Amino acid sequence: MMVLRRAAVKMSAGYEAMPRTRLGSDARLCKTSGPVFAPDGFTQLIELRHVGKTYQTATGAFQALRDIDLDIRRGEVFGIIGRSGAGKSTLLRLLNLLERPTQGAVRIEGQDITQLDAPGLRKLRQHIGMVFQHFNLLSSRTVYENVRFPLRVAGELSRSEQQARVMEVLQLVGLTDQARKYPRQLSGGQRQRVGVARALANRPNLLLCDEATSALDPETTQSILRLLLEINRTLRITVVLITHGMDVIRAVADRVAILDHGRLVELGDVIDVFLNPQAETTRALLAESGVETESWHGSVGESGRVLRLTYKGEAVALPVLSRYGRELGLDFSILQGSVGRIKDMPYGQLTISVAQEDDARVAQLLAALTGHGIHHQVLR
Amino acid sequence: MEDSAAQADSLWTSIVSFEYWPEIGEGTIDTLVMTGFSLLFTVLIGLPVGVVLFLTSWSQRAPDLFVARLQSWTYTTLSFVVNILRSVPFLILLILLIPATRWLVGTSLGVQGSIPPLVIAAAPFFARLIETLLREVDRGVFEACRSMGATTRQMVFWALLPETFTGILAAITVTAIALVGYSAMSGVIGGGGLGDLAVRYGYQRFNTPVMIVTVAILVVLVQLIQLLGDRLVARVSHK
Repeated sequence: MMVLRRAAVKMSAGYEAMPRTRLGSDARLCKTSGPVFAPDGFTQLIELRHVGKTYQTATGAFQALRDIDLDIRRGEVFGIIGRSGAGKSTLLRLLNLLERPTQGAVRIEGQDITQLDAPGLRKLRQHIGMVFQHFNLLSSRTVYENVRFPLRVAGELSRSEQQARVMEVLQLVGLTDQARKYPRQLSGGQRQRVGVARALANRPNLLLCDEATSALDPETTQSILRLLLEINRTLRITVVLITHGMDVIRAVADRVAILDHGRLVELGDVIDVFLNPQAETTRALLAESGVETESWHGSVGESGRVLRLTYKGEAVALPVLSRYGRELGLDFSILQGSVGRIKDMPYGQLTISVAQEDDARVAQLLAALTGHGIHHQVLR
Repeated sequence: MEDSAAQADSLWTSIVSFEYWPEIGEGTIDTLVMTGFSLLFTVLIGLPVGVVLFLTSWSQRAPDLFVARLQSWTYTTLSFVVNILRSVPFLILLILLIPATRWLVGTSLGVQGSIPPLVIAAAPFFARLIETLLREVDRGVFEACRSMGATTRQMVFWALLPETFTGILAAITVTAIALVGYSAMSGVIGGGGLGDLAVRYGYQRFNTPVMIVTVAILVVLVQLIQLLGDRLVARVSHK
């Protein structure tokens, strides 16, 4: 404890300046039991089994969630996306039982938390951090007192230990010099950092983010998302976030679940969902955030093949394409294309039309592309 | 014209040659003591009642059916009692409570005898003010408290009361002023204080100067309480 305290006091620079390797390898900083990170993905932190939630309203029963089966892996950033009313907020609140499921089981580290008694549930919640869209800070208390609140609730630390911990998490979010201020005196982004610091105070191994960036401007959103990503990577805290924006998912999430009218309509790695969306809702959500995949229809004539080529990682499609075009005597025009990064993964997606109606040569081309790790789809 | 001038003149001389200052001084002190003590007990009783009213009200019902029933029952009962006490005019409450006051403090007269009815009249009023204040607290604060695993007690003492503290100060100010008014009314049944003076001299003996001075002091008192309350609110507010 002493070592940590001294470290927290000494370092007055922002979170970015923290020695990450030390933080990451310091087991005392994350209260996780067992393997912290499982690259093979077999260590589930959270399991939802046939979970449903029905509200009794004046007009009858309303099913907010239906038969949700979901695993959240230890150490990942898991995104849940859907339109308002899709049930994502309810789903997030099932994970700390702010909402109780009416069907099914919610297991955290193998334990069905719906079976916990009241003190057990409070104990569990003390070690799950939650960040809110509207920050939900106490306006009558200083930043320092707001962050100390969960520590007082848990009652596990002495006053001086609490002080050290508060300064440590404020350091983490870069707000050490704002400790004596009141929330009113801070900007939206700073308030959300206080919210994050408060959520981290009890060293949780799970952080729930309820539209944590929806009330912030784009620039601040980016800085909060970077902060969440850093927390995920350096402290190895599993992050579950809900959002209605694909941009947020794309920036930080490893895997994503798409909800529509209380149903889980798609689940997978973010990059796969972006490049190859299956559900109609997913496509619509992607189109809304500018990831349009269907607009090629307008820019191509009646005849000829239309192909969609997708690659992940360092494969570069264009040189390969021009080489085979020359060799096979095919002419392409690019109807649509995007290249970029999703989280850390470079990707590219091109929609092209082939001028020559020669299926044999097109088949040769496709085989060659597969050889280069380029995924293809014949759209027409 | 001359007549009214002469009247005003005689009023002025009678104020200048006023011989009731000792009574007025005593009455002012009595009023302050009555208001102060009844305010203290009003807050001590009204604050917890207000908090309980809020915690058992519709918005705070537990998902557990048994707990929810208990809350519902508590709210209905408490709310019913509060409404009854608030619906009886204070003057009638004063008379109704005479036996209870005698049993409680040994007399129904004077400063002592005024305090119990004052508290019983003001505490339900204060409790409703507190309940309303707590209802205004952002839903998000409750959710944050619950998400951190706080008990109801922790939530009330560490979040709700601090968040509503300025509102509580304002409610105390309003109640203190209401109590000054009520305490004057208790003069009718021999309650002591400035109200008692106004009734005995101003009303029963047609002594207008005493009446005027009494009213003037009450006006100043109310202004001072409001000023003090506003200053305190301004000092502690962080909104």
